[in-house]
Amino acid sequence: MASLVAPTPPRAASTALRVDRPPWGAIVAFLLPAFTVYVAFTAYPVLRTLWNSVRTVLPRNAEFVGLANYAALARDDLFWRAVQNTFVWACVSPLAEVTIGLLLALALYARIPGRRFFRIAWFTPVLMSYIVVGIIWVWIYNYDWGAANALLRAVGLGAYVQAWIGDPRVALPSLIFVTTWMWTGFNMVVLLAAMHSLPSEVLEAAELDNCGWAAKLWHVVIPLIRPTILNLVVLSFIGKMKIFDLVWITTKGGPLWSTETVSTYLYKRAFEWSTFDLGYPSTIAVVWFVIVLAGVLGLTWLFRTRERLEY
Amino acid sequence: MKRAIGLLGRGGLFAVVALYTAFAAGPFLWVATMSLRTTSEISIDHYALPAKWHWEKFGQAWFNSNYNVYFGNSLIVVVSAVALLTVIGSMAAHCFARYRFRGNRALYFIVFSAIIFPPQITIIALFQILVQYGLYNTLAGLALVYVAVQLPLTVYILETFFARIPGDLFDAARIDGYPEWQIFWKVSLPIALPAIATAVILNTILLWNEFLYAVVLITDESKRTLPLGIQRFMGDQLEDVGMIATGLMIAIVPVVLIYAFFSEKLIQGMTAGAVK
Repeated sequence: MASLVAPTPPRAASTALRVDRPPWGAIVAFLLPAFTVYVAFTAYPVLRTLWNSVRTVLPRNAEFVGLANYAALARDDLFWRAVQNTFVWACVSPLAEVTIGLLLALALYARIPGRRFFRIAWFTPVLMSYIVVGIIWVWIYNYDWGAANALLRAVGLGAYVQAWIGDPRVALPSLIFVTTWMWTGFNMVVLLAAMHSLPSEVLEAAELDNCGWAAKLWHVVIPLIRPTILNLVVLSFIGKMKIFDLVWITTKGGPLWSTETVSTYLYKRAFEWSTFDLGYPSTIAVVWFVIVLAGVLGLTWLFRTRERLEY
Repeated sequence: MKRAIGLLGRGGLFAVVALYTAFAAGPFLWVATMSLRTTSEISIDHYALPAKWHWEKFGQAWFNSNYNVYFGNSLIVVVSAVALLTVIGSMAAHCFARYRFRGNRALYFIVFSAIIFPPQITIIALFQILVQYGLYNTLAGLALVYVAVQLPLTVYILETFFARIPGDLFDAARIDGYPEWQIFWKVSLPIALPAIATAVILNTILLWNEFLYAVVLITDESKRTLPLGIQRFMGDQLEDVGMIATGLMIAIVPVVLIYAFFSEKLIQGMTAGAVK
């Protein structure tokens, strides 16, 4: 890639020397360990999951059942409930995280004193495991002494006190709030880095044109850091499509499947329900894999077309 | 007048920033105070500062609640996985960045695309495979799976960096008669040390926190990693808030230490992919 950008003459000559004959022995030696691991623990498991998905797989034997698992999955209400929950999560989270992160980054961009300290503090939640974060938030959401209800009581909003993760109506939003708490700082730091890499001339020009603060933000800053924003949206989307740990430690998908995600449902079907069949859960995995892939490709495609339309 | 408004605006901005900081960091400070208080003290007032600092709780968690075992297991798995990852990841990245050969980009894409695979697509089969080869319920098996899981990200970070090293350096080494392995060892690696450090720190933290693969592939009490141990302790001693908080701090401290020393590197590593 680098040589494409700046094909200086001496560089081109030396490249030609290299193209001469690739040292196949060295190439194989360098790639072999990585590909051994890749084939054994990534490629082969993916293929085996595909193979599983058209079978009933019991500990001792496997029986071919054709597309029966897929047909059963299409009628599995719990699965579709989990899909719905996960999609809500994967669509709400990116919006919330990126919007709040952008506002915070702008606050820091205005050269507030102590920027470095704030940056480090805001990045902290993302470094903790979902297990640690989950337990802390189980406590924060505790009905009797949790910080959420304590705060509401303290400011006289006692009417809103509730069992945040015990009530099916608010459990999912409560957990989405946790991931937003966790990831907003990360988004903020990334956006800040993108803003600092903007050419200062552009911003100065906007300043000279007596552009208002909001106008400057909307017409100058956001269009310039758009690629970063879109990347963050995709990253957040992928992360939420996989979410498992947080749900597992807080609600295990309950109450009444209100926080069931595809990952927790798959785990339950494979390792918790005593059906001993690994075929059906594999079918869930394959269908979900296709959906995630389609989602990511769809998002990238959508963003790319919009980019083209604009110019 | 305009100055006053400006000052007011800045004050308001600062207030927002401070408020958000309290929101982001507050929960951790709360857990830190609880980790030094006994559960009976906590149940009187959940938000008081420790009246007496009960450091001995860390000893209790460490020796009586098996946290020494969990911590040791996490350390073994993470260190061996990261070591292996760094070696094979940098070898592959060096190869992708340095040699032009038919299929280079295709192979790179095959490895890199695994970055978006949801873990579910491999986890059931990994369970079967590890059982089959006697690696189920072993730290070695978990470490190998971790290597495979983090390989795409590692290769991606390192390849981007290796590709920016000027090619002339390698040609010079080649003209001097260095064999390919020595070029990797004596030219590529030393120059790429900053990128390798980033990858090492990032992988260490991500694997230290990993839960899904561990919960599927490990069931023995004596093989549990920290996240599993915490989950089990939470399940057994739900009411013992003080002790759970101590356990959480044991898991958090190494991460905080790494962060304290390498915050810039870590932020750089985690944001590498997102900023174009």
